[in-house]
Amino acid sequence: MTTSRTLMIGGVSALALAAFQAQADDTVHVGVIGPTSGVFSFFGEQQRMGVELAIEEVGDSVAGHNIEVTFYDSQGDPEVVVDRLRAMQSRDDVDIVVGPVLGSTGLAGLDWARDSGMPTVISYSAPEDITMRDRAENVVRAGWTGAQPMFAFGEYVVEELGHKEIVMVGQDYSFPYNQIGGFLKSFCAAGGESVERIWHPTGTSDYSSILATLPEGDAVMYNGAGSDGLAFFQQYHDFGVDQRMPLIGGSNFFAVGDLPEMGDAALGGMSALQYAEGLETENFIAFRDAFWEMHGEDTMPLAPAEHGYVAFRMAIDAVEEAGSTDREPVISALRATEMPDAPRGPFYLDDYGNPVQNIYIYEVQERDGRLVNVPVETYEEVSQFGPYDPEEYMANEPDSRNFPPEDCSDPFYDEL
Amino acid sequence: MRNDTPIIIGLIAVLLLWPLVMGDYAVSQGNRAMIYALMALSFSVLAGRLGWFSLCQTSFAGISGYTVAILGVKYGWPAGAVIPTAILVAVAFAVVFGLLTVRSRKVSFLMLTLALGQMVWALSFQWVDMTGGYNGISGIRMPMVLGINFNDDRIFFALLAVVTLLMFLGVRRLYQSRFGLLLLGIQENEERMRALGHPVYLARFVAFVLAGAIAAVAGVFLVFDMGIMSPSPLGLDHAVWVLTAAVLGGYRTLWGPALGVVILVALEALVSQFTDRHTMVIGLVLLLCILLMPRGLAEVFGQFRNRKAKSATASS
Repeated sequence: MTTSRTLMIGGVSALALAAFQAQADDTVHVGVIGPTSGVFSFFGEQQRMGVELAIEEVGDSVAGHNIEVTFYDSQGDPEVVVDRLRAMQSRDDVDIVVGPVLGSTGLAGLDWARDSGMPTVISYSAPEDITMRDRAENVVRAGWTGAQPMFAFGEYVVEELGHKEIVMVGQDYSFPYNQIGGFLKSFCAAGGESVERIWHPTGTSDYSSILATLPEGDAVMYNGAGSDGLAFFQQYHDFGVDQRMPLIGGSNFFAVGDLPEMGDAALGGMSALQYAEGLETENFIAFRDAFWEMHGEDTMPLAPAEHGYVAFRMAIDAVEEAGSTDREPVISALRATEMPDAPRGPFYLDDYGNPVQNIYIYEVQERDGRLVNVPVETYEEVSQFGPYDPEEYMANEPDSRNFPPEDCSDPFYDEL
Repeated sequence: MRNDTPIIIGLIAVLLLWPLVMGDYAVSQGNRAMIYALMALSFSVLAGRLGWFSLCQTSFAGISGYTVAILGVKYGWPAGAVIPTAILVAVAFAVVFGLLTVRSRKVSFLMLTLALGQMVWALSFQWVDMTGGYNGISGIRMPMVLGINFNDDRIFFALLAVVTLLMFLGVRRLYQSRFGLLLLGIQENEERMRALGHPVYLARFVAFVLAGAIAAVAGVFLVFDMGIMSPSPLGLDHAVWVLTAAVLGGYRTLWGPALGVVILVALEALVSQFTDRHTMVIGLVLLLCILLMPRGLAEVFGQFRNRKAKSATASS
């Protein structure tokens, strides 16, 4: 009996809540989902802050609809994401979803959105298949794919830095696979010779065995981030390998939060992303200053914040364009997104729903006493397919641990 | 266990009414609760009967889940072949793990299952070619059978409710059987049971494999409910969640684990609407419950009913 009584109580309260949340049709309800608790809460909090700024700028209403925003915590867990998305759809009457943020949660969100038809603007989540092989009509992305910035970087490393043999050390999971995949494709096309890949499990803190047996090359790339990246960076310098080979990084390696700990040794470190906190464009500075005014100058807005900000604006712009919250017009407005005034620089969505945008090659420099990533070169209108034809690109297998081939003389690169 | 017919009737009534009365979200929460109730049941069979606290029951669910995902999505097997294979694979793992753990007791059992569970988790995470690694495998859908779409939350609920109820009734039967009593006896005094000529290790091994099979069934439902399979359900936090639910509800009783899961799911769904710090609120509730009712809610209610029954007979 006790079990049934508890079930009843649960049921009644759930009913009461459902009634409480039934709402009028003249609101547009945006559900924002990201990891605001757990190990990855940094990314979720950044997104939340970016969205809060966008909410303030957009105001209370759009196209005669009141804007209502609810934040959901994904806990960085795909299972929780599916659960929260179900709550948005069937309990809270959400009209548009912004997020998720992380790779695996983005794929979970995509899988759910495909069946539900919910207009979804994925923010920072970077697996390329979200807008490629597994794409869904109702899902677009405000951010990037892992390979996208690296198309530009691979070319730059050969043409400007003159490195032709790269030794890569990276975290063993799909995001770094995709980063080095994009890198290799353009690196080889630009005349590079080889990239030797050495993978280590995430959470490795001792790199002595890797560093002691590091093959020779023109440069070393660390393809990863976070505490693993910091440990690698420090040991790389402790071992004195920096005297022999310069160190370059994957997109998140020289994250501004890690720079103070890396110290001056990081100066001159290079990487690439569609965003750089050292940008000096008018749009970016306005965004950064407004962000600082709202959240304090100690918090630098990073890519997840900007992508959250942009994703929210894309959602609101789409409702404005559609003049209603009806799914079909909202989705077609979303897919036609063009944002010439985004903080990161102008972009528009390609036919597959991913931004075609500037990629900045950046270098760690000291500015006003702090270390920041300053863009030194801009590649304009880089798409998620790099220079390749979308259909041909997608016909290749997805990047993995050892694909694409590491030797540029491999016949794969002749056909590409 | 004394007279639980009213509980069973009440439960059937709730399970019948739930999908008819409640909204979509409550139905999906009901699905989640039943899946985790099965995992908590699997945990409780070992914890309540043998004093074996396992941290790898969710791993068996994960193994069957991954088998469904890999065979169904990557190799395109039909669901009719995938589901039994998935349960068999998980049971095979349970056999191996059972052989490894059968001689261990209490803390060493806990540590062994922790290690085994973490190994499976690491495998799911790092065997990228097979499991998709961190990104997992998506696009797992229930088949259409005789024109019935089992992906519909309410139809899925009906199927899951029948299976869950049958599993619980099966375990109820087990608890009442000689085998169930033997397990209790082993927990109380292993030496005496051995002296009486009972095959202690065999009994424990069989219980372990049975518990693994229950979790395997939960895993099949889990993966079809989510539509995706990722390493997260195999993580330590999920194992601890199941342990918490079982302890909260009362792992020594049959219905306690289900009660614990229902309370935790309801708390999560309700509290997370109001605050991001829901884990803290839930933690506090748990702390109080376990401090005040160390034997679990179900046993407290059971005692309460006993006392009422006693006072009723006394006053008459």
